[in-house]
Amino acid sequence: MAEIVITGLGIISALGSGIEVTVGRLLSEKSAVEKIKHLQTVHCDLPAGEVPYSDTQLREMLNIAPDYNITRTSLMGQVALKEAMSQAKLSDKQNFTVALVAGNTVGGMEKSEQYYHHFLNDEEYKEYIGLHDCGACTEMIAQGTPFNFDLVTTISTACSSAANSVFFGADMLKTGRADIVVAGGTECLSKFHLNGFNTLMILDSEVCKPFDKNRRGLNLGEGAAFLVMETAESARRRNVVPICKLSGYANRCDAFHQTASSPEGEGAFLAMEGALADAALQPADIDYINAHGTGTPNNDESEGHAMMRVFGDRIPPVSSTKAFTGHTTSASGAIEAVISILSLTRGFIPANLNFSEKIDSLNFMPVTKTMQGVNLRHVLTNSFGFGGNDSSCIFSKIEQQ
Amino acid sequence: MSVYIQSAAQISIQEPLTEKWFAEPHIPAGNFNLSIEPDYKSFIPPAESRRMGRLLKRAVTTSKEALRKGGCEMPDAIISGTGLGCIENTEKFLNAMLDNGEECMPPTAFMQSTHNTISSQVALTLKCHGYNSTYSQQGFSFDSALLDAFMQFELGKIGTALVEGHDEMTPDYYNMLGKIGYWRKETADTEKLRKSKGVGSISGSSSVSILLSDKLNDNTLCEIKNIVTLHSPNKSEIWNVVSRLLAKAGVAMSDIDAVVVGLSGDAENDSVYESVMSQCFTDKPVVWYKHLFGESFCASAFGMYVAATILNNRFIPKHLLYKSDKGINNVKNLIVYNHFHNKNHSITLLQSIK
Repeated sequence: MAEIVITGLGIISALGSGIEVTVGRLLSEKSAVEKIKHLQTVHCDLPAGEVPYSDTQLREMLNIAPDYNITRTSLMGQVALKEAMSQAKLSDKQNFTVALVAGNTVGGMEKSEQYYHHFLNDEEYKEYIGLHDCGACTEMIAQGTPFNFDLVTTISTACSSAANSVFFGADMLKTGRADIVVAGGTECLSKFHLNGFNTLMILDSEVCKPFDKNRRGLNLGEGAAFLVMETAESARRRNVVPICKLSGYANRCDAFHQTASSPEGEGAFLAMEGALADAALQPADIDYINAHGTGTPNNDESEGHAMMRVFGDRIPPVSSTKAFTGHTTSASGAIEAVISILSLTRGFIPANLNFSEKIDSLNFMPVTKTMQGVNLRHVLTNSFGFGGNDSSCIFSKIEQQ
Repeated sequence: MSVYIQSAAQISIQEPLTEKWFAEPHIPAGNFNLSIEPDYKSFIPPAESRRMGRLLKRAVTTSKEALRKGGCEMPDAIISGTGLGCIENTEKFLNAMLDNGEECMPPTAFMQSTHNTISSQVALTLKCHGYNSTYSQQGFSFDSALLDAFMQFELGKIGTALVEGHDEMTPDYYNMLGKIGYWRKETADTEKLRKSKGVGSISGSSSVSILLSDKLNDNTLCEIKNIVTLHSPNKSEIWNVVSRLLAKAGVAMSDIDAVVVGLSGDAENDSVYESVMSQCFTDKPVVWYKHLFGESFCASAFGMYVAATILNNRFIPKHLLYKSDKGINNVKNLIVYNHFHNKNHSITLLQSIK
């Protein structure tokens, strides 16, 4: 089977735009989750990880005219896509088959909820009706490059959408249906999402505390990230340096409840086991787990139990980076894949912020202080979504020859 | 590696959970068409049914029916396509939020609003822990799901899969899409859609579950030889892709009995099909289906379902043919061709097993 390598990364989140900014902020151990500033909502006291740029600023970054109709979701997607494609030297399509696969859940909702009464009652803002759905957001991201992609599609598995986009991309490469795939996800904060999570009573009124005994819930975030993926052969042919390889991945379903995870973490367990089997690795080979770790009482305990089932009493260093960025939902799989890859290649493990006390039923504590100068060979990252859509994947260092 | 369509079940504007439309189609009377709901009691216990939105009930029902007909208890994968997801619940939550100033909103409507609720509800009902995914790419959502399933078969990861297309239509969303040219302004019947091209089509409501397997059995409807996709292609690219698809399957162009396409009566949509038909499939009989099932983001699932039904019967009835006064017998090979707004295109080759 063809070896899948990563040749480009792009990211925008509450931490800022770009991989260098992201690494700097992670090493500084400073959360970017703050009281809501940009989103117009009555719940502005709730903390969230907002991307620190207004729509106007994002348009300026991208040279997009003020009167061009585009959603914030697509603006953020374009920023991350440009960075990833630039690193992978994908400016000229030549004769390659290139696909764009993006995860997304509420699409253009942030505009729809503002213009909804116009959508229903008059003709104003009607151009945004066609930009509401998830697929339209991905098409708008694709249009931000001069590239004519050979396939554009959107995966919507809630908070594992971006992870599943990476898997779909890898399968396209393995079956020879594409030479290069740009895969990731994007989601912007909306009142719809904020109120939705709020009615489920799983939002923390302070910055979240993943894996802490007294954790109270999650903070929503927003952002986008993309990974350029290709076969090792394609990277050689194009003369681009692979950053790391995607060595294994698995998608499994918890099939327990529409929003809650099973106490024993069955879906999470199966996804991690599946990813290890796909990579032909043993649990002891994993040097770091970037956990889903949302900070909700249910997720962290369930994910923790699943880890104990896979790794026994030898759990590798674990951290959740959600307290830095907030939970970026559909984008989280890609944002955390980028963070995991940066950890792998630059030899650091980001801290799990705000942890003070271990969960009674778990046998491990997360990494509370950034570890630098560590040699990581394989990192595993988890992305779990509502509906039990659980996905895990493993990125591995490329051995120098 | 072979991939077979074992069975399919639909709920639509045709009589639900039957193939009655094949012999006696119901001709839609207006432009806004709701699905005909079956009696869900025999599929879902009433207590569970009350907690499920309409689209979820439909998905669970067509999935169970496809599994029963195909003789499969537990699929290895559940993969759905949906353009809008559970839009009824999305609207319910959105309206409550806007009307109540972000207070006192129904959590169930939010829980059932995300697109992946559909595949995960089917998994929950079946207790299926296997591969589970959802695609939302406008009129290419089902095609993406089918492509994913096909790749999973190719890579030997699965032996069976439920591949589904689900979309519902609400009066509000119908009106909104009408503002951007999705529907005919005047009441359109089959003849109008065929003869007078204009802006928009008639709306449908789609729920189709298709069971795929890598093994033939007594129920098998047909074989999927391959699916290929393109985005914003020029004419020569489509021709090249079709040629490669046929060559790889060992099927000559002269073996293709008909092409199943998403003609809808919308001038822009139809002109793409007509141009590709004249370029790549000159003189081939054209099968259409949106005049019976309506237009929706998942309408292409009906293209696959109609094609599988034709191949199982080895016959194309007259009412499915775009231009013909008599049916076609001994059908062996069909191309199913779909595009959305001339962006994503999919071309699938199906073959009878009889």
